[in-house]
Amino acid sequence: MLDDTFKAAFESKPKAVSLELQHEVEQFLYWESKLLTDRRYKEWFGLLAEDLHYWMPIRSTKIMREVAQEYTDEQGFAHFDDNWYTMKGRIRKIMSDVGWSENPASRVRYLIGNVMVVPENENTINVVSASMVYRTRQERQLDVFACERRDVLRRVETEAGFEIVRRTILIDQSTILSNNLSFFF
Amino acid sequence: MNVKANVGATGAYSDAEILAMIDEKNGKYDPKIYVDEALYRLELERIFARTWICMGHESQIPKPGDFTTAYIGEDPVVVVRQKDASIRVFLNQCQHRGMRICRADSGNAKSFTCTYHGWAYNQGGDLVSVPMEKEAFGGCLNKAEWGPKQARVETYKGLIFANWDADAPPLDEYLGDVKFYMDIMLDRCEEGTEAIPGIQKWVIPCNWKFAAEQFASDAYHAGTTSHLSGIMAGVPEDVDITQVAPPTEGLNVHLENGHGCGLFLRNPMFYMTIVGPKVTEYLTTGPAYEEAVRRLGQGRADVNLCHTNVFPNLSFLAGINTVRMWQPRGPNEIEVWTFTLVDKTAPQEIKDEWRRHTSRTFSAGGVFEQDDGENWCDIQQVLRGHVAQNQKFNIEMGSHTVTADNPEGFPGLSFAYTYSEESARGVYRYWTQIMTAPDWDAIRRIEQRPLAAE
Repeated sequence: MLDDTFKAAFESKPKAVSLELQHEVEQFLYWESKLLTDRRYKEWFGLLAEDLHYWMPIRSTKIMREVAQEYTDEQGFAHFDDNWYTMKGRIRKIMSDVGWSENPASRVRYLIGNVMVVPENENTINVVSASMVYRTRQERQLDVFACERRDVLRRVETEAGFEIVRRTILIDQSTILSNNLSFFF
Repeated sequence: MNVKANVGATGAYSDAEILAMIDEKNGKYDPKIYVDEALYRLELERIFARTWICMGHESQIPKPGDFTTAYIGEDPVVVVRQKDASIRVFLNQCQHRGMRICRADSGNAKSFTCTYHGWAYNQGGDLVSVPMEKEAFGGCLNKAEWGPKQARVETYKGLIFANWDADAPPLDEYLGDVKFYMDIMLDRCEEGTEAIPGIQKWVIPCNWKFAAEQFASDAYHAGTTSHLSGIMAGVPEDVDITQVAPPTEGLNVHLENGHGCGLFLRNPMFYMTIVGPKVTEYLTTGPAYEEAVRRLGQGRADVNLCHTNVFPNLSFLAGINTVRMWQPRGPNEIEVWTFTLVDKTAPQEIKDEWRRHTSRTFSAGGVFEQDDGENWCDIQQVLRGHVAQNQKFNIEMGSHTVTADNPEGFPGLSFAYTYSEESARGVYRYWTQIMTAPDWDAIRRIEQRPLAAE
């Protein structure tokens, strides 16, 4: 239910990919998060594919027997359920002078780890990573989020080398312990 | 009337002092209502434990044994669909040692067993089994007496409500005229509405009344600075945002029992920027619109967004169809619990659009709602200050436009211009009244005559 491609790809331990590919993918993820940390939103948006689906389902507390249903599915309500056009609107908002949730600006840092790479073919690469997002804003607001990200990357002839076709963000919190999610994951 | 209100819980304010916290005539009120711990404890007792509180939507628990956990104020409850299709709501507290009986957000269960000592309850919350009952209790435990406290349960067009107070009026009477406005969301089509699966929850460090009052009354923040960037996110890039005129035709409506709403008429600008062109078209033209005209009449079918608060803490935007319960967590914090409703008979494509756009706009990450969370938590922080708490806030907007009637013939106690605070004045006045009423007999006697009549 929650993304069958990924379920299949990570059913058993993925085969080790070349160090070069692993390195390339990791550098792309680091670059992407640096752009966000540095608030270079237009350039970050440039890494998103036009057929993007950027999705963060809602997680809830379930007893072990029903734990398979802890995330909403694609027909359910979500924290983010965006395509390229709506992401463009979000970029317009965050870069405007009147986007109060990010003006004054937040300080957001990303620690990306646990990067596992499973190529689907030469051009399409499935990547799982863990991300710790550390945000402070205003005088003393502090938010910490941990999540797994399931990305589908596509090789493109750009300096960055890839574009993000799909990003599924599996956030660990059920009740979001913050006043908003006004930044990107 | 200078009797101490509920001395046990507060002792801090007399009835007269609470009643004076809103001064409708001079358009002033006291921000201590947002921060005072004693007033908050009194709210839990006199508002949340006595009024009808929304538990969610029937479609979230369709089958026998389906349950969700919810809150009445800070009291956790379990909401369970029964075998006969009725719904039970009971306190999520084992009466032996007080442990939470049900520890999941939702699911399906044949029974609920307390994890502490194993007292087991059926789907209705009746205590049916106690471990070692004969040996440990000598067979003299009367299980019928030891189930968790049950709430009264009633529904209105799919929304489930619960109430602890046996003396409260039936839900239908409690809602009164706000039903007329709820129907703009709930009754556009024969089949009614269904909830998109999933309840989003997040925390805002602010008092629950900021949220409740905003949905009851505050079109002003949407038409001015708060949501400019949200609007910007939803219009094509080449549109000059300063040239997008917010709608001005509409009403601000003060309703009985603390309810309130405001609405825009015959101008779908907010629909376009919030739920997008497809849902806007669905809502304002074609067969679904024609059915809405037949069911609701031309006037209500042409309401393009109605922001509403059902006292105390159920809010929604009819048309956008985001529904939210503001769960109080102390005077300085809320949990927002929100879900989306869609017309049951809407085409799947429209339901999908509705879902994606409410997630895009009215959610923790929503391009509109992000900014509400920002404003309310800054207000709350400022109110930590002694001097800040002792200022008076301005609530006089639209006083000069208040009338006892309106050209649309819509029901309500009083009406004002779209951008006005008549409904907010009503909410806070009712708040002072219910906070000083010792029981439902006294609540029934509350004089709800608005400023317009004076």
